[in-house]
Amino acid sequence: MKCPRCDSNKIEVIATSPVGNVWEVYECMDCFYSWRSTETPNIHEKFKLTKEQIDNLPVIPPVPPLDK
Amino acid sequence: MAKVYQDLRSFLTTLEENGQLVRIKDEVDPEPDIAAAGRAAANLENGPAVLFENIKGYPYSVVTNVHGSWANHALMLGMPKTASTKEQFHEINRRWDKYPVKPEILSREQAPCKENTIDNPDEINLFDILPLYRINEQDGGFFLSKASIITADPTEPENFDKLNVGTYRIQVKGRNRVGIQALAFHDIAVQLEAAERKNEKVPICITVGNSPLVTYMASTPVMYTQNEYEFVGALQDGVPTRIVKSDLFDNLYVPAGSEVVLEGYIEPRVREVEGPFGEFPGSYSGSRRQCVITITHITHRTNPIFENLYLGIPWTEIDFLIALNTSVPLYQQIKRDLPEVQAVNAMYTHGIGCIISTKVRFGGFGKEVAFRLLSTPHGGSYSKIIIIVDEFVDPFNLPQVMWALTTRVRPDKDVVVIPNCPGMPLDPSSYPAGIHSKLIIDATTPKDPEPNPREAELLEPPAGYEKYEALIRKLMAEM
Ligand SMILES: [Zn+2]
Repeated sequence: MKCPRCDSNKIEVIATSPVGNVWEVYECMDCFYSWRSTETPNIHEKFKLTKEQIDNLPVIPPVPPLDK
Repeated sequence: MAKVYQDLRSFLTTLEENGQLVRIKDEVDPEPDIAAAGRAAANLENGPAVLFENIKGYPYSVVTNVHGSWANHALMLGMPKTASTKEQFHEINRRWDKYPVKPEILSREQAPCKENTIDNPDEINLFDILPLYRINEQDGGFFLSKASIITADPTEPENFDKLNVGTYRIQVKGRNRVGIQALAFHDIAVQLEAAERKNEKVPICITVGNSPLVTYMASTPVMYTQNEYEFVGALQDGVPTRIVKSDLFDNLYVPAGSEVVLEGYIEPRVREVEGPFGEFPGSYSGSRRQCVITITHITHRTNPIFENLYLGIPWTEIDFLIALNTSVPLYQQIKRDLPEVQAVNAMYTHGIGCIISTKVRFGGFGKEVAFRLLSTPHGGSYSKIIIIVDEFVDPFNLPQVMWALTTRVRPDKDVVVIPNCPGMPLDPSSYPAGIHSKLIIDATTPKDPEPNPREAELLEPPAGYEKYEALIRKLMAEM
């Protein structure tokens, strides 16, 4: 299975339906996109991510320096 | 004494008794049904809260659109559901002055939110407790859009005034992990920075499903040293709200009636991809690297109800939630210096559009009022389009505001653009993000020494009309 947003194959099952065996939830461990097995993700081009884009996303809020 | 709610459930009962809550009993899919109902309810005039009783794969229920209409907003305040927006505005202002009202601290045994406890971190699974779902199609995951989140100041953890109760969007990232958006200009970022400088975890409680005024105050921009629980007591007309100590952290207090309380820590100096998420201006905010929380402890009521909101193209539930709690603080600040001001409507896109009604003390006074708005902490960066109307125009009544624009504005002298001012980055027209021009429209009647060559005589309503207004209302209510 591949991530529909960043194409990574590091996918984990983060949940199975607590009632019945009707769905699972998957998550990409590279970009943290998650989706349910009953959905058909259709990610717009502008929201897709490459490894380089992930590394360069803005950080909110900035991490302050450590106190000496 | 107005009706007061100490939990979400008692408010839902009142909504149902007033025809402002509908139940969907048939089984629905988490996607796209719950979000679709939130969008649909907001599209209706006086849309109700919608309670989903049966969601595929989940044991518990979801309620959406709880704050999503003026009728629900009035019932939150214990007012008749027909109370006008302006009446609600003035009632909140009256109660605002009762701040602070100390909350009542319950014992653990007295607090409904402690009915069930999951204290083994290995048994934490958010999907067991909350029917999580996607809100908008391109969202990066399943979000909590309406949680009230409690944190303390790490340098003064005992200081109750600095206990912060705020609403921040939360993305679920695993059975015990979530992401949080802590924007640099919000209170929680001050506390986070102090802890991250020492590489310390930040204790946090995420509460879901609260009494409506707790949710209301959590999304109100009050001062850092003002405790939100003491404002809830004020808005309950002096009746203290009930809180209880968190199980893990002695200095954190949560609403005693919460449906679900998630306790854990913000991991210091960690940022992971969060978003995108459909936001209140009606467009998506993109992916950013943001903070991560590990949940280690949960308490919840039996059969918890997951309260969450839809947000998207205005108006949706969030626009009702942040309508008057943006307007009231601005009114209080401007009125202090310019007592002629009658009311402030900062309901449009979180105050990006703002209408102020005022008496005109002297010629040009309308513009002075606009300048004062633009020098308040919120209005300075948020407010972009400012309309000033006379004291006899209700700023919450857009047909009246349009009347003022069409009959009081001479564009050559009453419309002013001031370029290159502080702006609001989430406004997609702001460019560069955070810079915009201000538009001031003075729709007040000219006053000396400004010439008014065509002085007009306003019509008076026929004698006795108020009596008939009350009578017609009564007859309508009896139908
Ligand atoms: Zn991915």
